Amino acid sequence: MDLQLALIFLQQGIASGLVSGSVYALLALAIVIIFKTSDVPNFAQGEVFMAAGYVALYLFVFQQMPIWVVLPATLLAAFLAMALFRRVVLDQVAKSAKDLVYLVIATLGLSYVLKGLVRRTGFGDTPRSFPALVPTDSVMIGQASVTLLDLAIFGTAVAVMAAFFWMFNYTKTGRAMRAVGMNPKAAQLVGVDLRRCHMLIWGLSGVISAIAALLISPKILMTADMGSIVMLAFAAAIVGGFSSLPGAVVGGFIIGIVENMVGLFISSRAIVLAPFLAILIVLVLRPQGLFGGKLTIKKV
Amino acid sequence: MSSSPLASATSGKRVLSGPAIAGLALAALLAVALPAFTTGYVIYIANLLLVFVVLCLGLHVVIGENGQFSMAHAAFYGIGIYASALANRAVDLPYPFAMLFGALVAGIVGLFIGALALRMRDIYLALATFAFGEAMQWVFANWDSVTNGPNGLRISPARFGPLEILSDKQAYPFVLFFCLLMIGVTVAISRSRLGRSFRAVRESEVAAMAMGIDVRRTRVVAFGLSAAIAGFAGGMFGLFQTFIHPDSLGFQTTILVLTMVVVGGLGSIAGAIGGAIVFGLISEVLRQAPQYQEIIYGGILILFMMYAPRGLFVFIGDRIREVRHGR
Repeated sequence: MDLQLALIFLQQGIASGLVSGSVYALLALAIVIIFKTSDVPNFAQGEVFMAAGYVALYLFVFQQMPIWVVLPATLLAAFLAMALFRRVVLDQVAKSAKDLVYLVIATLGLSYVLKGLVRRTGFGDTPRSFPALVPTDSVMIGQASVTLLDLAIFGTAVAVMAAFFWMFNYTKTGRAMRAVGMNPKAAQLVGVDLRRCHMLIWGLSGVISAIAALLISPKILMTADMGSIVMLAFAAAIVGGFSSLPGAVVGGFIIGIVENMVGLFISSRAIVLAPFLAILIVLVLRPQGLFGGKLTIKKV
Repeated sequence: MSSSPLASATSGKRVLSGPAIAGLALAALLAVALPAFTTGYVIYIANLLLVFVVLCLGLHVVIGENGQFSMAHAAFYGIGIYASALANRAVDLPYPFAMLFGALVAGIVGLFIGALALRMRDIYLALATFAFGEAMQWVFANWDSVTNGPNGLRISPARFGPLEILSDKQAYPFVLFFCLLMIGVTVAISRSRLGRSFRAVRESEVAAMAMGIDVRRTRVVAFGLSAAIAGFAGGMFGLFQTFIHPDSLGFQTTILVLTMVVVGGLGSIAGAIGGAIVFGLISEVLRQAPQYQEIIYGGILILFMMYAPRGLFVFIGDRIREVRHGR
């Protein structure tokens, strides 16, 4: 490969990587806010993302509802589903078992239920894409070609992340969430309603996943298995240290770019393997991630 | 309750509870008598269930006894299947040698993963083993020259000297024997000094260290043994199966085994065995309604976590006790 071509590939890889990376970053953010406050890696995040995509597809394509109804309805459905799961299922699990393993297994259960439900509807039998709301004309940035849709995806994702950071850092609700993440008991003592706060966080995490689904689904063929994309988000979260919000975002972009580079420079067959290798390498060399603080070990 | 949730699930002494012993005795009776009155398909299912019992024992050693989370057991199982199948093809020795080879290779890989696992715990360990499992499935599906890649590998029939095993019915006594053998091995491990140190590390690493237990070594050994048992299960699979495809060695299988161990009750050997049999039968029944399979699967996991986190048998035992005491 000569240098000229390599340079074009490099630019294209970065441009495409930033676009898909912004979606991974959103999903990683959804995973990390839950982990920070509940200590649970939500293995159902990918299926929440997938199911939200199908809710939107059902309302928009099959029910022919206007888009200004479809978007809020999808986000609301994702919010309610996740908040209810937290309130009805996980609160009960936490009551009857002390260990986190049981909460994690419950999320695995949810992922199976959601996948089964979507398969049951039969909408996933023929893979289809969500109609693009933004024209897919190409524009050149440097020597990389991206579509207007790509730019819209990137812009929306960044805007959503910015809004979330503002909420998390500067509002009263956000402060309450951070307090719960640091020390739930102390947060409760100063008047934070733990149950409500957890429901809100899980609900918000659902909303963020739903936004990610709405953004990416015009670009991919939707199937009941599309939730497996969440592996890349887990990889992103791990690269970012798993409990750092900015880390999750940066991790998302890194994973997106690495994925595209592997596809362009090595082989498309290796793309599937890339996130797992990334997870393994990061965990082995630097278990706390690139942005995580010092690893603390529970003594008793 | 002590700091660990598993503490009350097992103490070293009370490995088997009353109802569990009765259940096991009934199961054993049925198991021995099975070939006399059933068809080939039932025997095939029985063989598969016995393999899953051993796989659950493997997972039990690392999660139940040692408290380390592994999401890679389908990979160790797969390594066992491929290694014993290839060994069986390469050398002209009785099949148990191939099985031991499978267990050995899986065990060595397990030791390696266990050594890496020293650096992490909980969620990180779960994710790392998950990633390893997925990577191994990729290897099975893409290492064409060894595993025959996505086309799957044909497993040549197992031989014991002059005896060549060609049917499920012929294989059944051997599968049953090896399953009982591995139950014996697991009980022996659990009751040995090593098993006690596994549990000590699970309860509190600091306290275990203070007792003079080499925590790092214990954790690595637990992983290695667990992987070796899973690899042995892979060898048992080759006793009656003629074909292996990488698709059946993915995350689904790991979750199936995890579900079995959880349904039976984390932390008890009887639970792991009972869970494998009960849930194996449930998933066999679900095969009749494949469109509901995932929903019911997930539903079972969620409901168990909500209302019976210590497993089916403890749950039933508690209900019986409640009735007896007139509550």
